[in-house]
Amino acid sequence: MLHLVKLELKKGSLRGYVYGALIAYAAIAAFLLLLYFFEGSDSSAPAFGSQLEILGIVNTMVGATFVVYSSALLSRLVIGEFKDKTMALLFAYPVNRKQLIFAKLSIVFAWCFANIVIGNIVIDAIMLTVNHYTGMVGGELSGSQLMQHVGFVLLQGVGAAGMSLLPLLVGLPRRSVPATIVSSIFIVSIINSNNGGFSLSSIIAIPLSLAAVGIFGAYLSFRNIDKADVA
Amino acid sequence: MVDAVRTQMLTKHYRAADVVTNVNLTVKKGEIYGFLGPNGAGKSTVMKMLLGLVRPTGGEVELFGEKLIPGSVEHLKRIGHLIETPAFYERMTARENLELHAEYMGYHVRESIDEALQMVQLLGVEGKPVKQFSLGMKQRLAIARAISTRPELLLLDEPINGLDPEGIQLMRGLFRRLRDEWGISILISSHLLSEIEQVADTIGVIDGGRLLKEVSLEELRASKTDYIEITTAQASLAAYVLTEKLGLERFKQIGERTLRVYDTHVPQETLSKTLILNEVPIESINRRHHTLEEYFFDMVKGGDNHAASRQAGA
Repeated sequence: MLHLVKLELKKGSLRGYVYGALIAYAAIAAFLLLLYFFEGSDSSAPAFGSQLEILGIVNTMVGATFVVYSSALLSRLVIGEFKDKTMALLFAYPVNRKQLIFAKLSIVFAWCFANIVIGNIVIDAIMLTVNHYTGMVGGELSGSQLMQHVGFVLLQGVGAAGMSLLPLLVGLPRRSVPATIVSSIFIVSIINSNNGGFSLSSIIAIPLSLAAVGIFGAYLSFRNIDKADVA
Repeated sequence: MVDAVRTQMLTKHYRAADVVTNVNLTVKKGEIYGFLGPNGAGKSTVMKMLLGLVRPTGGEVELFGEKLIPGSVEHLKRIGHLIETPAFYERMTARENLELHAEYMGYHVRESIDEALQMVQLLGVEGKPVKQFSLGMKQRLAIARAISTRPELLLLDEPINGLDPEGIQLMRGLFRRLRDEWGISILISSHLLSEIEQVADTIGVIDGGRLLKEVSLEELRASKTDYIEITTAQASLAAYVLTEKLGLERFKQIGERTLRVYDTHVPQETLSKTLILNEVPIESINRRHHTLEEYFFDMVKGGDNHAASRQAGA
């Protein structure tokens, strides 16, 4: 299984995706700094109420960005192979087809989760450092608040990574890259509309059920792959 | 000896169309099997069913003496293939593509890649990304990939497509060598008889999804019908003479001026002498063989299919 993942990475040449992720971090940070400085000084109310709110907004933006970004990777790894006719090649190897797809999906899942975590750390660090020097957003950020936020980010990351697989359900039957990416944008809007509640139960239950729905939906899309004709 | 491939009543029906119907095909171990048929006859579909890429709706497949069970993958280690257009990871180099193939196939003999590249004469360009390759080079590379894991069975779907005459010559030699030196069984499909006539041991003709005939070329060459062709301005008079004076019945009038006599027990001299004595003007009289081309063309036409006319045009 690990071997299959390694082979996927070998042929994927994902270096371009890593650069893309770095650019995405930079763009999110730049956008938030813009909000931080200009929105805040202009109007009476500052853009961000507290430091915790900054972290929350960073998490939302990073999550949304990388669910969509992951759908691009998903298109490349799964739907692209159908389009390039290399899927027929893969399916004629002495390897279980579900394992092949599973290897691809675990890359997408890991990619989405890792980027959400790293993106949060990097951009949070930038924002909090900037705030430390300018002090435009006041108030304390306690250690327990921070720990709670870390837990929230990790769980949200799992939920978003699971959800990032769901576009396959729309994209795979149509063998369509645009359908995959558009459906990921829909999914992002669903995830973010669920961001309002902050009770502990919703923090744990919602992301995990989102992950379950995403993984199950992706499974549905390739459940019959062993019996499918690869033309 | 166990046959490499054996299908029984192999059938594939899509909702709207019958693509392959009741095909019983046998590829013996160590032979080159030419799979001949016009475009759209079902050749690729049969090969995909052997690979498990397409699931049959009826009948069964036996590979190396074992029945193919849906979902089983072990036998795929023993098969090399080139189906339809050669597909590669275009950004990777030729060598990387072959290495990747070996990894997936679970075949770890380093030298085999060099050997395969050398056999198709692609050594020297293996470091280039495949997207820079021409169609002919991709075709060669696909064949190299198929043989690089030393399979026992090769499935080659129109392997000559896109090759230059030199490449075609090379491949013919290669196929024979693989059969003779490695004992590989090879199934080659083509829509041109002339392509496979020179390498195949057995030819199977498929048209409209049905296997019309499976015949060994050796047998065919031995039983090839001879006939005497007479060209004359007065074909009907000649026909009268043949029946009445010589008692011949097995002849056929082709067009207005040509007669073909299949009764070869009457010597050609007697034939010409009798015709001249009965004042039939003879323009030419020749002993002829049925060519293989005619043989197969007749067969496909006999199958009463429109595809036959396309075959003639090919």
